[in-house]
Amino acid sequence: MVVNLAWRLFKHEARRGELTIILFAIILSVASVLSLSLFSERLQSALVERSSQFIAADSQLRSRKPISEDWLSQAQAQGLATARQVSTRSMAFGESLMSLVDLRAVSDTYPLKGEIKVADQPFGSPTPVASTPAPGEIWIDSRLFQLLDVKLGSTVYIGDGEFTVKRVLSEIPDQGFSIFNTDPMVLMALSDLPATNITGPGSRVSYKAYYTGSDASIEEYYEWLRPQLDEELHRWEEVGDDESAIGRSIARAERYFLLASLLAIVLAAVAIAVAAQRYSQRHFDPVAIFKTLGATKQMIRRVYVLQILFITVLGITVGIIAGVIIQQLVVIALAGQVDVSLDVWHWRPVFIAVLTGSICAVLFSLYPLLRLFSVPPLRVLRRDMGAGLSSKGLQFGASGGAIFLLMWIYSRDVEISAILFGSGALLVVALLFVTFGLIAVGRWLGQGAMGAWQLAWARIRRRAMDNSVQLISFSITIMLLLVVLVMRNDMVAQWRAQLPENTPNYFMSNITESQKDDLEQHFADQQVRIDEFYPVVRGRFVAVNDEQVSTEVTKEDDPEQSEGRQGLGREANLTWSNKLQTENRIVAGQWHADWQPPGDDGNAEAGIVYPVSVESGVAKRLNIAMDDTLTFNVGSEIVRTRVTSIREVNWQTMQPNFFFVLHPDAMQNFNATYITSFHLDAQRKSEITALMLPFASVTLFDVDARINQLRDIIDQVSLAVEFILVLVLIAGSLVLFAQVQASMDERQQELAILRTLGAKGRLIRFSVINEFLIIGSVAGLMAAMANEFSLFLLQWRVFDMEASMHWEYWLIAPTVGALVVGVLGALGCYRLLRLNTGQLLRKMV
Amino acid sequence: MIQTKDITKTVNTSEGSLQILQPISFQVKAGESIAIVGASGSGKSTLLSLLAGLDEVSTGEIFLDGAPLHTFDEEQRARLRGDKVGFIFQSFMLVQSLTAIENVMLPAEIAGLSDAKKRASKILEQVGLGHRSHHYPNQLSGGEQQRVAIARAFIGQPKILFADEPTGNLDAANSVKIEDLLFDLNREIGTTLVLVTHDNELAKKCDRQLQMLAGELTEVTERAQHATGPVPQGVAHGR
Repeated sequence: MVVNLAWRLFKHEARRGELTIILFAIILSVASVLSLSLFSERLQSALVERSSQFIAADSQLRSRKPISEDWLSQAQAQGLATARQVSTRSMAFGESLMSLVDLRAVSDTYPLKGEIKVADQPFGSPTPVASTPAPGEIWIDSRLFQLLDVKLGSTVYIGDGEFTVKRVLSEIPDQGFSIFNTDPMVLMALSDLPATNITGPGSRVSYKAYYTGSDASIEEYYEWLRPQLDEELHRWEEVGDDESAIGRSIARAERYFLLASLLAIVLAAVAIAVAAQRYSQRHFDPVAIFKTLGATKQMIRRVYVLQILFITVLGITVGIIAGVIIQQLVVIALAGQVDVSLDVWHWRPVFIAVLTGSICAVLFSLYPLLRLFSVPPLRVLRRDMGAGLSSKGLQFGASGGAIFLLMWIYSRDVEISAILFGSGALLVVALLFVTFGLIAVGRWLGQGAMGAWQLAWARIRRRAMDNSVQLISFSITIMLLLVVLVMRNDMVAQWRAQLPENTPNYFMSNITESQKDDLEQHFADQQVRIDEFYPVVRGRFVAVNDEQVSTEVTKEDDPEQSEGRQGLGREANLTWSNKLQTENRIVAGQWHADWQPPGDDGNAEAGIVYPVSVESGVAKRLNIAMDDTLTFNVGSEIVRTRVTSIREVNWQTMQPNFFFVLHPDAMQNFNATYITSFHLDAQRKSEITALMLPFASVTLFDVDARINQLRDIIDQVSLAVEFILVLVLIAGSLVLFAQVQASMDERQQELAILRTLGAKGRLIRFSVINEFLIIGSVAGLMAAMANEFSLFLLQWRVFDMEASMHWEYWLIAPTVGALVVGVLGALGCYRLLRLNTGQLLRKMV
Repeated sequence: MIQTKDITKTVNTSEGSLQILQPISFQVKAGESIAIVGASGSGKSTLLSLLAGLDEVSTGEIFLDGAPLHTFDEEQRARLRGDKVGFIFQSFMLVQSLTAIENVMLPAEIAGLSDAKKRASKILEQVGLGHRSHHYPNQLSGGEQQRVAIARAFIGQPKILFADEPTGNLDAANSVKIEDLLFDLNREIGTTLVLVTHDNELAKKCDRQLQMLAGELTEVTERAQHATGPVPQGVAHGR
């Protein structure tokens, strides 16, 4: 019987549109969470797939000692694909010339991700190739053809081995990028390496093992491997660990998707809370009737719990279908623009969406239901009697707890959850104060003749508590939309700033002092602007506070450096400058521009300790603190320096950056070479050979491909972020609409009375619109403030970005809030005012 | 059927406690129809809510068909209402989201009767609404809604029927129809009827009239001549 009654109520109410709002809220929550997380999961895996190409695998083990065969067999046994690379620097000999080369010996399975690219001729256009060098052959860098004076088919000697030059090597996936001492690359078969005898004791060799497979099997393998790794020797790297510009952009985008999905959950939760409250209020009468007719509490509880169950199941089902459709539409829309496959299906978002829908439906309807159950039967006689239970504390506690729980479960990140939740809670408290402020203001403003404004203020004052709930839900909705919008703007702006239009796409190194002016003049004649020259001196980093630096702390023997990061090691690239580079920020001490050498007492020269500024990351890694003494060996001389500042460097810019920047005085006696960069438009690329002709000894690096790759990814991620933003905006607007609809019902009675008493439609309409304008603008203003607070925390703590103020939104949010809420109010009001008084009164029954 | 002993009702207000019913004792015999009349605010609806077990007495005792209502909790009172009591209200109190027949079925369903639908159809025919059984309340006129409410009240063949201003929201023509229907069904089923009204004409149709005045039951009017049924022996007095 209970099931029958519940089903019948559900059926009729659904047919009559009584359940529309709550059903709609659940559908919205499920659909938005599903489409957002499905899309972001798919996009993430597509981006991860793409970025995995930069490490040529899903995971990589780097070692300074040969990697045990057992480790690789174990990986294969666990279902992982593996590959190997051994790299070292060595001399290569042509028939008459020789050159230092960056030698990479690879297994035939290399690379597991990404492609090796080769060209038909030196400096030709790169095309992917599916194979690796066969035994006895090598593929060499374009530059090496000049340096060794060889051609395709020539013989080149490396160590004790003899090889045939088979192809022009353009690119390997994990070659890294460094403008310092990059030697031309040589690729050979791993099986040929032992015969060269170049990896004997004392040689600096780096070993890599590559792995691909499912996340779970890689995780499982790493768990097995970890206890056997030696921190000093081994380094495990996964795609997510990518500290490069691309890696950081993706990490940030991932966090953004997470944030957007979290906010979508909160939006949906707000919608459900609003709808459930309305649902509960509309059922006060039926519950009183049921009780009067003899229904026990248990029976009523069952009827309504079953109803919620029916609604939830229907909402989740429709929500899933809608979510999949929305997501599919997004994928179709993006298909032409995102160069990654979005076809992989993920179950986790479906699970999360169902869980979200269920938790939302259950937890947010809990309090309204408890209230509903407490309606006394006496209400049938005394219509003014509401629910027996009324506890704002319970209401806010239950819904707040549920929201936090959802955020936490979903993000598995306490910090991001706490920040969002904290700022939301702060907003709620602030809004309660504002509401009571409004009551006071309203009392004053609502005096005088009854115009539309007075009526609006009077209504706001009279319905203070209802309005406070409404104001809070409006403000939270607007705040969440602001966070998503502003965060996207800031993030995309910062990404774009990394790669402005004229980002240098060529780097030059090995420029001598005497070439500097000529080079500058020559380039200026060709209308190419050269960026700043940075002097570079190779120095040996020998001691910290007079303690010898062991080779273990260096990266010298690691020929690969992540993008933008230059080598550090026993051999360090030292530069000097009086001027702090852009995108460098002093985090401790003072920049040494004002440093004065100590007074000249004859033999001071040798004993002077010069100031040095150290990059914060390397300071941390090498445990260097302020005022430490660092000793460098440059040429045959010792340079002693004291750390006077520690800098944070933005490695994401395409500009040369340095770990150690010394005072110019320290370096005045040394011969430096210079590095610089310039931008050459794509259509002038053919001029590059002519441009460089007079400066044969200068080494040129073309980083156009790198920059384009980076730009592509950033564009795609930005586009994806934009789509997510649009989805959240749509979800938010729908929530706002639901809120206005719900509050419109509450106004129905008053409208009917005013109408009955002969108030003109115009007066009623304007009073309602004014009321919504006031609520909308206050909500907008509060949202702007809360937005600022949460953005500050998010950018500082979660997104690793520089936080900034967004004053424009302090004006935009109240204006747009007032407009949107006002227009929605006007629409809702229009619907009600189209009914005649009789219909209005009947609707109230 | 109903026996009250010194029942009072006191409520707490912001200005202290307010006794809205003075001690009241009276009896209603089975099958008897009584009208409680009085001005608005005299306490007649409060008395009805106590008699029907919708509210608790502050002091005193109420026995409904022998059951000590004053000792029952809300759950027990609900069961008692479901078993023995029918209601008709001024504002009809139909569940808006259920059709006429479903509204009528409700008490039978709550009581767990398996033939709820059959009974409901029959009684809807009886009140002349067989053809409108699948209409929702807001698709019916006031008179029709009250007929649905009457059908709902009688479906479980209650021993006692409480009616609170049953014609209060109706025009004269509909009022007459509803009154006739109410008394006809009352006679047919032999229900005890307790009716609250300030309509003296309606009150006169009952066996006895009790007058409420400022929380006191001050007067007992002898039963109207045209009323049929057993002559009541009950007394009512205020103190």
